[in-house]
Amino acid sequence: MSGLSPRHWAGLALLAAFAIALPFAFEPRGYGIRILCLALLFAAMAQSWNIVAGLANQISLGHAAFFGIGAYTSTLLLIHFGITPWLGMFAAAALGGAAALLISLPTMRLRGHYFALATLAFGEVMRVIGNSWGGLTGGPVGISVPFAQPSLALMQFRETRSSYWLMLAALVLVTLVFVAIKRSRLGYRLRAIKENADAAEVIGVDTTRTKIIAAVISGALTAALGTLYAQFQFFFDPDTVFGVASVSVRMAMIAIVGGIGTAAGPILGALFVIPLEELANQVFSAQAAGLSQLVFGLLLILVILIEPRGFMAIGPRLQRLFGKGDRR
Amino acid sequence: MSAPLLEVSGVGKRFGGLQALSNVSLSVEAGEIVGLIGPNGAGKTTLFSTLVGLHRPESGAIRLDGRDLVGLKPHKIAAAGMVKTFQNVALFLESSVLDNVLTGGLMRHSIPDARALARRCLERVGIAAIAGKLARDLSFPERARVEVARALCTEPRVLLLDEAMAALNHAEMDAFMALLRQLREEGLTLIVVEHHMRAIMSLCDRLVVLNFGQMIATGTPEQIARDPAVVEAYLGRSAA
Amino acid sequence: MAVVQAILDGLMIGGVYAVISIGLTLVFGVMGIVNFAQAEFLMLGMFVAYYAWAWLGLDPLLAAPLAFVVVFLLGAAIQRVLIRRVLKAPEVAQIFLTVGLLIVLENAALLMFGSGFRSVSTPYQTSSLQLGPLFISVPYLAAFAMSVASGLALWLFLKSSWFGRAMRATAQDPMAARLIGIDADRMHMLAFALGVGLTAFGGAVILPYLTASPTVGTQFAVLMFTVVVLGGLGSVAGAVVGGLAVGIIQSLSALVFPIQLQNLVLFVVFIAVLAFRPKGMLGAAR
Repeated sequence: MSGLSPRHWAGLALLAAFAIALPFAFEPRGYGIRILCLALLFAAMAQSWNIVAGLANQISLGHAAFFGIGAYTSTLLLIHFGITPWLGMFAAAALGGAAALLISLPTMRLRGHYFALATLAFGEVMRVIGNSWGGLTGGPVGISVPFAQPSLALMQFRETRSSYWLMLAALVLVTLVFVAIKRSRLGYRLRAIKENADAAEVIGVDTTRTKIIAAVISGALTAALGTLYAQFQFFFDPDTVFGVASVSVRMAMIAIVGGIGTAAGPILGALFVIPLEELANQVFSAQAAGLSQLVFGLLLILVILIEPRGFMAIGPRLQRLFGKGDRR
Repeated sequence: MSAPLLEVSGVGKRFGGLQALSNVSLSVEAGEIVGLIGPNGAGKTTLFSTLVGLHRPESGAIRLDGRDLVGLKPHKIAAAGMVKTFQNVALFLESSVLDNVLTGGLMRHSIPDARALARRCLERVGIAAIAGKLARDLSFPERARVEVARALCTEPRVLLLDEAMAALNHAEMDAFMALLRQLREEGLTLIVVEHHMRAIMSLCDRLVVLNFGQMIATGTPEQIARDPAVVEAYLGRSAA
Repeated sequence: MAVVQAILDGLMIGGVYAVISIGLTLVFGVMGIVNFAQAEFLMLGMFVAYYAWAWLGLDPLLAAPLAFVVVFLLGAAIQRVLIRRVLKAPEVAQIFLTVGLLIVLENAALLMFGSGFRSVSTPYQTSSLQLGPLFISVPYLAAFAMSVASGLALWLFLKSSWFGRAMRATAQDPMAARLIGIDADRMHMLAFALGVGLTAFGGAVILPYLTASPTVGTQFAVLMFTVVVLGGLGSVAGAVVGGLAVGIIQSLSALVFPIQLQNLVLFVVFIAVLAFRPKGMLGAAR
C-alpha cells in the first residue's frame, strides 16, 4: 500500500499530462474553461473538507467561514496595502487556521449532529459579520478585486488558461496534503477517532489535539482557496463566500458524491457536480429561478439514498457483482 | 518492601443515583498477576474504566509509580503505561487487523517501527495469519485477541484485561495463559477480569473480590476460595 | 419601562418560537436525527395560510389547522419515502439527507410561488391593547394564544393518548417498545408528521405580522436550533423554555444592537450552549 506499482505511476503521469494539456482543447477565454477552473477549485475545497469530515468524521457545515475569511483577507490586503495575493494567500491561510482553532476549542467535544449544528452556526456568524461590518467588507453590496494589468505577480491573468493551471496546481497540492495526512500517524489517529474515539484515547491517541490539528490544516487550506476564488471571480459578497448552500454544503456534497474519505472522491465529485450545475443553470435558469438548485438538492438526496459512499464505492460494487477479486 | 507499582486508594465513582464504586483500595506490585472477580454488576469494568481515565472518580487517588493519575486523560495514562482492553470489544472496524494494532504503537513509534511491533504483537497473541483481514469481518474470539494485541502494542507496564479469554476453547485458553505468564516474566504487570474460575485460580498470584462496588476480600486464590464472604457473594445471589 | 415592554414582546414571540421548535426536538427525541429542513415546513405553513387567505378569504389564524393537516400529510410521506431509509445509516447520510431536503423544498417553493414577498391583511393587523403603560400587539397576542393552545394540545396528546405514550416509549427504549407491540416505524412517521405539522401551524399563525417568501426558512433555521439546544435536544419541555428564552434574548438585544447583530447574539448564545452545556440548560438528556 505504501508504494504504487509502475503501472499506477504510468497511469498517473498520463493523467497529469492530459490535465495539463486539456486547456488547449478549449477557447482561451471561453465559458467551458471557466467551468473547468471552478470544478478544480471546488475539488480542492472538497478535498480540504475531506480532511476533517472524511478522515475524522467531523461533519462540518461551516467551512464557508474559512473560505470567506480567505477571500476577504487577501482582497483587503491588496486593496488597502497593495500586497500581492500570493502573500495575501498565506495571510489568508494563517487567519483561516486561527479561525479553525478558535472554533475548535469549544466544539471539539461535540460529535455528529451537534458538531454539524455548531459549525453551521459558526459559518452563519461569519456571514452576519461580513454583511454588517460594512466598513471593512463593503457589506451586502460586495467587494471588487482591483483590476490591474494582467500579471503573474498580482495573480491576474489575461487568459483563463493560466487560472486553470493555477487551480490545477492548487488541487494537486491539496490532494497531496490529504494523501500525506492519510498515510501519516495523524491519518491513523484520525481514523481511530472516527471509528471509536474512546478506544483511541485508551491506546494513547490525544483525540482533542489530533482533531484540532486536522481542523486547523483544513481551515487554512480552505482559506487559501478563498484567495484563489477572489482572484478568479474579481467580485464577491458575504452571501456568496460565506453561504451555507453556495459553499459549505457544496463542498461537502462534492466530496460525498465522489466518495467521502478517499483522495479521488472530491475530484470525481467536482468534475460531475459543477458542470452539471452549470448545465442546469444554462438550460433552466432563463425560465425558472431555483430549478438548478432543485436539481442540486435532488442529486444530494439521491446519492445519499442510493450510495452514500459515492462514486468510489461503485467500482468495488460492480466487481463484487461480477464476482471478480474480493476486497484485499 | 518497595512501594507498589499501582496503588488505588479510596476510589469512589457515582453515576446519577448509583454508587458504582465505593472506597475501593488495592495495590499491585510490579510483575504481579492480579485477578479481579465478582458477580455481574459488581463494578469490575467500571473500575477498569476509572483506572484508565475514561471515568473520573469523585474521591480517592490512583497512583502509578507514585504519580497521581486522577484527572488525566486516557491518552496520558496510556503514555504513563496503563492500558485496558474493552470487554465489549472496541476495535476500529473499518481498518485491517494490522492497522488496528499498529495504531497502538504510534504513541511511541514511527509508522514503520509501529508496524514491525504490531506484527510481533499479532504473532505473540497467535493471530498473525489474519493481519490483513478487516476487523469487521472477524469472529468474536478473534476480535477479542486483536484487542489484546492492540493493547500490547502500546508497550504498557500495567495491562488491564477485561474478559479477554471469553469464548476461547480449552487449548486456546492454555496458550493464552502461557502468553500472560511469559509477559509477566518480561516485566509486565497484569490485572485480569475473568469469569473462568479455572483460569483465574491457576493464573493469578492474588485475587481481589468486588461486590456492589466494594472490595470485600483480597488474598491468594486458595484463601479466597475459602473466604465465607466471597462464597456468599457468589452463592447467595446468582451462582454464575 | 422599555425593558419590561421588550420582555413582554419577547414572551409573545417566544411562545411562537417554542411551538415551531417543538417539532425539531420531537423528531430528535424519537428518531435521533436533527432535521435540518425543519424551518422549510414553517415556510410551507405560511404559504398554505397565505393561499387560504388569498383564495378562500380565510384568516391565517383559522387556516392554521389547515396548514397543520396539509404539512402533516406531506411530512408523513417524506418520513415514509426518505427519512426512514437513513435511520440506521451513518450520521453523515442523516445530516445530508435533510440538508438536501432543505434545498429541494426551498427551491421547489421558489419555482411554485415565485421569489416575491407575500403578506396578508387582517383587520387586527395594526391594533394593539393597552395595559397601563404597556402595549400588546394584537397579532402577537393572537399568535401567542394559538401557540399556547397547540402546545397544550400536543402535551395532552403525548400525555394521555395511547399514541402519545407509545411515542414516548419508543423514544426512551425502542427495543422495549417493540417488545410490547409498538410499531416503531409508525411511531416515527407520526412523530415526524406531527413535528413538521406543528411547525407549519406556527408558520400560519405568524403570517399576520410576517411576510412569506420561499427563503423565509433561513431566517428561522438557526433560531430554531438555538431554541432546542438551549432547552436540550429531544426535550419538549425544554423547547418551551428555550423558545421563551430566545424570544426574550432577541427582543432585549434589539434595545442595544442594530437589527443585523441581533442574530449574532443568538449565534453566540447557541455556540456557547453547545460548547458548555450540550445537553441544554435544563440538563435533560431526553
